Amino acid sequence: MTAIDWNRLATRARRGRRVRSGLLLAFLTLVSLPVILPFFWVVVISVSARTGGVEAAVLWKACAVLVPCVLAYAGVHTFIASVRARIIAGLLLGGLCLIGLYVLIGADLHLNNYRFLVNPNLIEDIRGAATIGGQFPWVWEAFGNSLLVAITSMTLKVIVATLAGYYLSRFAFRGRSFFLQSLLLLEVFHPWMLTIPIFLVIFWVGLLNTLSGPILVLTVIDLPFYIFIMKGFFDAVPWDIEMSAMTDGATRRQAFRHVVLPQVRGGIIAISVLGFIKGWEEYVFVTALRTGNSYWVMSTYLYYVAEDVMGVDYGLVAAVSVFYMLPSLLLYLFLQKYLTQLTLGGVKG
Amino acid sequence: MARVDLQNVTKDWGTAVAVDDISLDLKDGEFVAVLGPSGCGKSTTLFMLAGIYAPSSGDIRFDGARVNDVEARDRNVGIVFQSYALYPNMTVLQNILFPLRFKKVPRTDAEREAREIARLVQIENLLDRRPGQLSGGQQQRVALARALVKKPNLLLLDEPLSNLDATLRLSMRAEIRRIQRELGVTTILVTHDQIEATTMADRIICMNAGRVEQIGTPTDLYRAPETTFVAAFIGSPPINLIDARLAGDTLEIGDKRLRATGAGADHGGPVKLGLRPEHIREAEAGSATAGLAATITASEPMGRETLYTADTPIGSLHFLEATSMPRLAPGAKLSLTFDGDDSLVFDAATTRLMHGVCAHV
Repeated sequence: MTAIDWNRLATRARRGRRVRSGLLLAFLTLVSLPVILPFFWVVVISVSARTGGVEAAVLWKACAVLVPCVLAYAGVHTFIASVRARIIAGLLLGGLCLIGLYVLIGADLHLNNYRFLVNPNLIEDIRGAATIGGQFPWVWEAFGNSLLVAITSMTLKVIVATLAGYYLSRFAFRGRSFFLQSLLLLEVFHPWMLTIPIFLVIFWVGLLNTLSGPILVLTVIDLPFYIFIMKGFFDAVPWDIEMSAMTDGATRRQAFRHVVLPQVRGGIIAISVLGFIKGWEEYVFVTALRTGNSYWVMSTYLYYVAEDVMGVDYGLVAAVSVFYMLPSLLLYLFLQKYLTQLTLGGVKG
Repeated sequence: MARVDLQNVTKDWGTAVAVDDISLDLKDGEFVAVLGPSGCGKSTTLFMLAGIYAPSSGDIRFDGARVNDVEARDRNVGIVFQSYALYPNMTVLQNILFPLRFKKVPRTDAEREAREIARLVQIENLLDRRPGQLSGGQQQRVALARALVKKPNLLLLDEPLSNLDATLRLSMRAEIRRIQRELGVTTILVTHDQIEATTMADRIICMNAGRVEQIGTPTDLYRAPETTFVAAFIGSPPINLIDARLAGDTLEIGDKRLRATGAGADHGGPVKLGLRPEHIREAEAGSATAGLAATITASEPMGRETLYTADTPIGSLHFLEATSMPRLAPGAKLSLTFDGDDSLVFDAATTRLMHGVCAHV
């Protein structure tokens, strides 16, 4: 029996692991490019474009700096094992990157496209007072309205879905299974198919041209799905804990608040994020449920900036887009771990 | 601490009867075990005592007062669930404080009481942890502390040891008993483990299919089981139960005839003969009675003793010998006997013990 060369085997395994993780990194970078590039481009345009034209050159120059840096960092990750060395290399590359960007495109950068944030009369300044009856608002008004729509519908959705989910999970009542089935059935129809009937209903109850219209419609459309999600989360909370709380002297409501609710916190945060973003990005119903310019939200603001008013000022459009994008992006970044729990709770339902 | 009575309590869900007309009374400070196989209604009984289920009929009384309509939260009952049911979002201390929160105990008093009880169950160094960071045994102690901190009228333990490993179970058994004696709290332990019941309880209530089979001390249940169910459920290895026919003063088992005493001459019918493995032994050579001719078919060393299986004229019998080394190999032939006083005869129709009737080799 020949002696086994353990060292050689270990070296081979180490090399194999490194190559595999390097390939994986390269693959992931490649597939994320089409996703990241448009966003990156919008950001670049928003800080570089001057009225009337888009400088593609700025994008290419920025890429010329960023791509080698990213590749170099991937290389560092693949071939250097020490965490300390990786951090140092990362910082060095980051510094290099900043210097390179400053040298190549520093002169082209400006914040002029973001003037809409501070100028209440942007359109009038550009086109004169007559533009769409002088009704085009300051961006903060649209921002406030969007926030109102998003937060109000989110709050309504979370409260109703949580209570309904708990009830469906814990109580047996006549028609329970029918109710659950019809919740799913509602998901089959795309809400846009219902635009005309919804318009009529909103018109008849007199909520046309008010923000309450889209708020209520958005709430109702998402509720079935959210109720189902919350039911799944409540199903995962054992009965014992509730019984225990009640023998410990709590009423059913206190048991719900102190013991059950904290355990579905993940679900509540997840549907809050989804609910907020749904309201924040809503376009169809906010447009359909107004007949004039009775209210502005961010999506309609962006639409008018892009279509009606500006024509070709891509710099401004990009800047508004970036501003519009930021809240959703931040929410996703900080709360994504709760969103991944969603599938877990949902499957159990 | 309270006296607890159940009178003709029944619980059904439509046609499914979970608990069928049970009556029992617990003395103040008594430790009672409810023993039975899963699905016999013992947990339902527990939940009725706690106030989580309402009985369909019958009365539950604490210290003589009817509590049927008293809400769970007002009964001042402590439960330790099989799953422990600790509140995962709270620390150990907050878990123990939870019951006091609703009793409007001042914060400082509550903390003092919680720490006292934590010392009693030896978890005072874990108070800042969360339940998820504790081992099974520690969680069990926290659950016990939470149930005891409110000075309950009644402590209910629902299979509290079944999630622990064997050594821990042994020590927790003694531990729970110690704490119960120290506090003198009336306690009901629900279990399917006969060892747990016989070692911990003052009295055992043996249940089967929603009915009480027998109530008595562990010794009663072992020495004089009222029914074949109790006889078979208590004792390990289990009792030998042999189909037989009683005819006056003889007991017919197949072709074999044993002498029966205690039954009237005219008494007859199908019966079951119960013989505990430890009561069967090898007949001494040259004794007056012949014994049962037996052939060993299997031997299982069980540590301190050896369990044999033997073919005899009255059927296959298990018997124990207090030797750690198996003495007899399969195929060995010997003569077996037992004392008539140790034998149990049950009426096959009613499954009840026929008091005073004995079988002799």
